Amino acid sequence: MIELANVSHQFIIGKKGKERVVPVLHDIDLKVAKGEIVAIVGRSGSGKSTLLNLMSGYIRPSAGEIKIGGRDVTKLSEGEWADFRLANYGFIFQSFQLIGSMTAYENVELPLVLKGITGAERKQRVMRLMEQIGIAEYGGHYPSELSGGQQQRVSVARSLILEPPIVLADEPSGSLDSENEKTLLTMIQQLNHEMGITFVIITHDEQVASIAHRAIRLQDGKLVHQSDYRQVAAHDEQHRSVAGVDYIRQGGERE
Amino acid sequence: MKLGDQFRFVRQNMKKNKTRLFMTVLATAMGCAFLIVLASVGFGLQQSIVDNIVGDRLVTGIDIYSKDPSKFKEDTNLYDADIKDLQAIPNVKAVTYRNFIGQWMEPTIDGEPVTGDRTFQVDFQAEERAGFSLSAGRMPQKNNEVILGYNIRQQRDDQGVPSEYKDASEWLNKTIVLNVGYYENGVLKKKPIEAVVAGISAKPTKEWKMDQALYVGVDLLGQVESITGTQRGELPYVEEGSTPEQIEELLKQLPAPGGDRNYIEVQVIAGHANDVKGISEVLREKGYFNHSIADELKQVNLMFLIMKIGLIFVGTIAVIIASIGIFNTMTMAVTERAQDIGIMKAIGAHPSVIRKIFLLESALIGIMGAVIGTIVSYGISFAVNAGLPVLIQTFMEEKVPDGFLFSVIPPYLTALACAIALGVAMLSGYRPALRATRIDVLRALRRDV
Repeated sequence: MIELANVSHQFIIGKKGKERVVPVLHDIDLKVAKGEIVAIVGRSGSGKSTLLNLMSGYIRPSAGEIKIGGRDVTKLSEGEWADFRLANYGFIFQSFQLIGSMTAYENVELPLVLKGITGAERKQRVMRLMEQIGIAEYGGHYPSELSGGQQQRVSVARSLILEPPIVLADEPSGSLDSENEKTLLTMIQQLNHEMGITFVIITHDEQVASIAHRAIRLQDGKLVHQSDYRQVAAHDEQHRSVAGVDYIRQGGERE
Repeated sequence: MKLGDQFRFVRQNMKKNKTRLFMTVLATAMGCAFLIVLASVGFGLQQSIVDNIVGDRLVTGIDIYSKDPSKFKEDTNLYDADIKDLQAIPNVKAVTYRNFIGQWMEPTIDGEPVTGDRTFQVDFQAEERAGFSLSAGRMPQKNNEVILGYNIRQQRDDQGVPSEYKDASEWLNKTIVLNVGYYENGVLKKKPIEAVVAGISAKPTKEWKMDQALYVGVDLLGQVESITGTQRGELPYVEEGSTPEQIEELLKQLPAPGGDRNYIEVQVIAGHANDVKGISEVLREKGYFNHSIADELKQVNLMFLIMKIGLIFVGTIAVIIASIGIFNTMTMAVTERAQDIGIMKAIGAHPSVIRKIFLLESALIGIMGAVIGTIVSYGISFAVNAGLPVLIQTFMEEKVPDGFLFSVIPPYLTALACAIALGVAMLSGYRPALRATRIDVLRALRRDV
């Protein structure tokens, strides 16, 4: 489903004439199979957000090739990326990223609006999904009138409304309490199980990583471990004293 | 994204800052109104000056001399059918002509002989439309009503020096007796027809010209013809000692009454000075020899054209100044909505959709401004036309001529102003819209890179 081959990325910072090259990712080779839940873990600055941004098309790799669903997306233009995102991706963000001036209903509806779907079909699809996710009663509420958990559910509904094959989630439970986190994770597992949606989740939360079929660990921009979750956890346990930070247990540190 | 949804987005965006929207629309409306009102003065002056001062019959009249002999080899005279043909040309207000009556008829009023020099049969209705001006009385409305020339009571001596002016309006509403001569059994007899003097023609503008004509309608001509038995009341030249048979023979040679009359001094009056050129071309195509002094008025219209272009240019500057407001508003809107735009782009909004939404918003501001500006400028134009003559009369003690308009808004000026306002609004909204499409998704989402 998602294939990264020798992907590297570097940022150029500083003023003109005094630019500095900061390498972020080095030669990443990664394959995510259809229907997989993959967690990307790593410390702050390890490059996991950059990796997700490359998959999302928000930034372009400095080297290497990215294929999504067999299509080389490395050289897509901005407009082509926009269409590609709308057709293939759902996004769940840490801070929900709902549009404040739109109601919950309008936020969920947004991808359908962008796709040009109108009328009864649009209404039916939004209502059905909102009921499934349990937010039908908040349709007329603005994001500021909803709790964190409710907002995240609206955000999940928005990511799923076009029934995308892939959902990219960036710290999806980062702003949720443990109960809401549990609900969200159950929902992700259910969606993966029932609809076969592929999930790529960035997290440093043990709970979140535990639902993944596979976890990928990044360290200093390099892929150091690819295994199922339990192996990663064991690897982290081993390196805990070396790294000096138990990021999984503490859970509070943010990317 | 469907247009309806784009409108919904724009409406939602506009609601966010109503005061700013109001001020921007106000500035655009003021610019648009300024443009229209300024240019309308140019249009108003042109209309008033061209129509009222040079736009009289002198300019709108097209003289028809005859038909083109190369096209009409047999007969170049103008007949009834030609008059009808001329009347049917678009933008023709009236077709006037003069028809000589074949005899003077020795008219008298209160027993005093009327010493005119000729009798014309004219079409009074067409003359009225063409602007036949009177110094006294009114145009004939009933049968047996006539108009007298302004100088009809004057006479010239042997050297051609006219006598002192005697006011013809003293004869107004009096009965004029026309003594129509006719031959019966070779004897010249007179039969009186009574008519009423309805009006006196205006004083000729050229001081050496004297109007000593008697103007009658087609009804009177009919009566004259029925008495004489000849067309236009013509009498034959009879040598002394002719026998009744000879006279009868001469009468037979004259055309019969009611036949196809031929017309002289035919003039086509255009509805508007601007139409003269077009009508002249049609006339030439149809094969009528014609001339109009409007051909020589091109410079006047050119002057007004330059003036109008100048005024529209100055007005456009006002709209451009207003566009700075639109630019500002749209830039602010893009900045304020950067996060929303970022979210939309992140989930798959095409850059062109974002651009369209913002362009639509500036276009709507332009349209609202143009509509309000147009309504206001019509109001101002109306108020100026109604109020300024009163003010001038009150404070300057000068009377404004009737029908003089200071401000005229032709529909195409409104269309032009709206197009300028809309175009300028779109242009000033284009850069902010482009900026919106370039918003960096990651920065807008405030995510770590």
